[in-house]
Amino acid sequence: MIRRGAALAALAAVVAGLAAYPGYASGYGVRATLQIFMWIVLAGSWNLISGLTGYVSFGHVAFFGAGAYTGAILVAKVGWPWLPAALAGGVAAVLLALVIGYPCLRLKGPYFAIALLGLNEVLRALVSYFEGLTGGGNGLSLPTLDATIPIYYAMGASAASVTLLTYVIITSRFGLRLMTIREDEVAAEAMGIDTARHKLYAFLLSAAGPGIVGALTARDQGYIEPISVFPLATTITMIVMVLLGGKGTVWGPVLGAVVLFVAQEVVWARYPYVHPLLFGAIIVAVVLLMPRGVLGLLQSRYRLPRTI
Amino acid sequence: MLTVNGIRDDLMATTVLEIERLTKRFGGVTAVDGVSLRLEAGRIYGLIGPNGSGKTTLFNCITGVERRDEGRVVFGGGRIDGLKPWEIAQKGIGRTFQLIRVFPELSALENLLVVTRDNLAAARERALELLRFVKLEELRDEYAGNLSYGQQKLLEFVRVLMREPTLILLDEPAAGVNRTLLNDLLDAVRHLRNQGRTVLLVEHDMKVVMGLCETVFVLDHGEKIAEGAPGVIQTDERVIEAYFGR
Amino acid sequence: MNVFVTPAMLAQVVVSGILSGALYAMVALGLALIFGVMRIINVAHGPLLMLGAYTTYFLYSALGLNPYLTVPVSMLALFAVGVLLERTLVFRVVDAPELSSLLLTFGISIALVNLAQLLFTSDLRSVEYLTGSWVVGPVALSKPRLVAFVFAGALTGLAFLFLRRTKLGKAIRATSQSREVAMVCGIDVQRIHLITFGLAAALAAAGGALIAMIVAIQPEMGQTWTFKSFLVIVLGGAGNYPGALLGGILLGLIEQVASLFLTTQLSEVVAYVLLVVVLLVRPTGLLGGRET
Repeated sequence: MIRRGAALAALAAVVAGLAAYPGYASGYGVRATLQIFMWIVLAGSWNLISGLTGYVSFGHVAFFGAGAYTGAILVAKVGWPWLPAALAGGVAAVLLALVIGYPCLRLKGPYFAIALLGLNEVLRALVSYFEGLTGGGNGLSLPTLDATIPIYYAMGASAASVTLLTYVIITSRFGLRLMTIREDEVAAEAMGIDTARHKLYAFLLSAAGPGIVGALTARDQGYIEPISVFPLATTITMIVMVLLGGKGTVWGPVLGAVVLFVAQEVVWARYPYVHPLLFGAIIVAVVLLMPRGVLGLLQSRYRLPRTI
Repeated sequence: MLTVNGIRDDLMATTVLEIERLTKRFGGVTAVDGVSLRLEAGRIYGLIGPNGSGKTTLFNCITGVERRDEGRVVFGGGRIDGLKPWEIAQKGIGRTFQLIRVFPELSALENLLVVTRDNLAAARERALELLRFVKLEELRDEYAGNLSYGQQKLLEFVRVLMREPTLILLDEPAAGVNRTLLNDLLDAVRHLRNQGRTVLLVEHDMKVVMGLCETVFVLDHGEKIAEGAPGVIQTDERVIEAYFGR
Repeated sequence: MNVFVTPAMLAQVVVSGILSGALYAMVALGLALIFGVMRIINVAHGPLLMLGAYTTYFLYSALGLNPYLTVPVSMLALFAVGVLLERTLVFRVVDAPELSSLLLTFGISIALVNLAQLLFTSDLRSVEYLTGSWVVGPVALSKPRLVAFVFAGALTGLAFLFLRRTKLGKAIRATSQSREVAMVCGIDVQRIHLITFGLAAALAAAGGALIAMIVAIQPEMGQTWTFKSFLVIVLGGAGNYPGALLGGILLGLIEQVASLFLTTQLSEVVAYVLLVVVLLVRPTGLLGGRET
């Protein structure tokens, strides 16, 4: 109980520090932290479907891109303020997840992965095709607006929400049932668990966050194009962050997002030409050397509770 | 008059499960071939037959893991063939698997908790009671994957009971289990029967089948070749032929 | 939108579809072999094809070799690369969950593309050896495509002969049926994995060498081939090798027919929807593969 209290106090201090941060930080610091928040949301969301149920979503960037385009169109063409546009981005991503997830979650193992692997390409093609609405390959510009600090808070709130949601799910029987799908789907069904519905709910939940931060990113950058919001590499980055931190845990995605982002900024940004090569090497290293991630390793070695 | 489901009213009271002419093919192989059988409440049944005679496939067809090709399965007054496995489980059929299938990275307690939708306190109480029943209470927070083979077997067994099923299908409950544990398991099965539940078990250990079951069905090449009390089955020509060749 | 289709146009798309279909089939056969034998989806298949294309380009431009003679050289070179990748990295994820093998091969894939950018730059390159078309009635046959078709057909035929007639080929097929049974029969499964991966890389390289004479060569040319190969093995049935042939021709035809009515972008969408529908309706492929 004392340790729990100390942990909560530390957490509160971190949150307070991050809330006060824009008051004294440099513009770069705020932007970097904002992006870390974004990656926490993306990694945490991927963890909800893939870390818990074991259904590997290789198409998660599609929800980010769908949110980005929804938000950008609402801001640029309809004149919505960015906050409701961001929420609408989340709704759009959830609807997309419904359309994709309902059929595809019936596929097992590698077939689900293959089905989702092409999703980002398809959305990119669709967005390019509907030029009138999306600007096609030329991209879409949003009216100028300096909202970095409000967006910092919105991103921060999203990151906190996804992490809290993960905590709530993992400590609930709903979360345990999601894990039974990962552990043994046939046995789960034989025990009376409606796995199809559970998977779909997890998939819908995992799409909301990326949709929201997609729209926030569109507003923040002021310009989006199909290539910038649908890269497969973004999905891979979320996956590597979760694997690095520990999949199926509450804090793994947070840890992975911070470590990988900082490493990218500090180390690889200096070597732009070999950046992909290094990233490839990191992926290979994580897969081969620590498939359970830092927290997964600690968890099994020291019998830590599931709520780390 | 016949009811909609084709079950006579006077049998409704005691019939738990009725299978009519069930057939399942895999490609060119007929794994289960027109099997019919009827189970009554509060009895223990055995399902035996040589390897590959279709016992597990029959289990899978009853529980919806495999889709039957022909025939019907009636349970609790309605047809269940065509339902999804979880729907069938929710109607009151529980099963274990030939190879243990606990959820390895869930604790023993969690393995039981996930099964019900009752409120958490009640579910917890029932789960602890079941763990106590098989003497696993102390290990409730251990990952199921870390338990010994026998402990996992017990855990899988009580996990089936969480939903209070009316029909319990056990796939080789005695396989790989030591004497003491086996006696506990057999006592538990009799206890369930005394509560009015029905048990159907696939088993290779003939001592277990003969000592426990009141009625035995024999499958060979997917067909039911005999049905009756254990003593009668043992002397049946076709059964001997199926087991020892001709 | 072009709604008016003449018989001549139809004949043209059918011929073009079959021509490119044979290339798809050959390249996808490599992916199918790896999936069948090792249960791995090799995302780096396309980048291996890209390396094959560069090998041909450099042999042609630096040494002045006839590009068709470079095909076997590219195949040998990439066989070696494939063997090296398998022995150092890929063998470690053979029994791991699909997440591991997909990510690992994705990591290899971006590393290979980046290496190609560093070594060869992103400039577009081409091998202009055979150009123009032969005209047969209403149909124009692109010369490099026709020769590529003949090569692809012959190499695929050889691959099938190898799989069916030789001891090694039979061992590969046995391993893909059941690894346990293969082991019991005294087959060195590790070695089979190694050879399969090398063979698959060689088939991709042959594709790359032939494509080098048709389209521009650049480091990122391979990725779409990975996806197309997925599509082919899904259409044909994963693990079903003759299915890859059917799937390849089918994909070629579908693409060409779609190009009559749709823009390139929308035909990509159609291809994806097709992939998902086939996976859902016939997860074992149109010819029926084996159960997973």
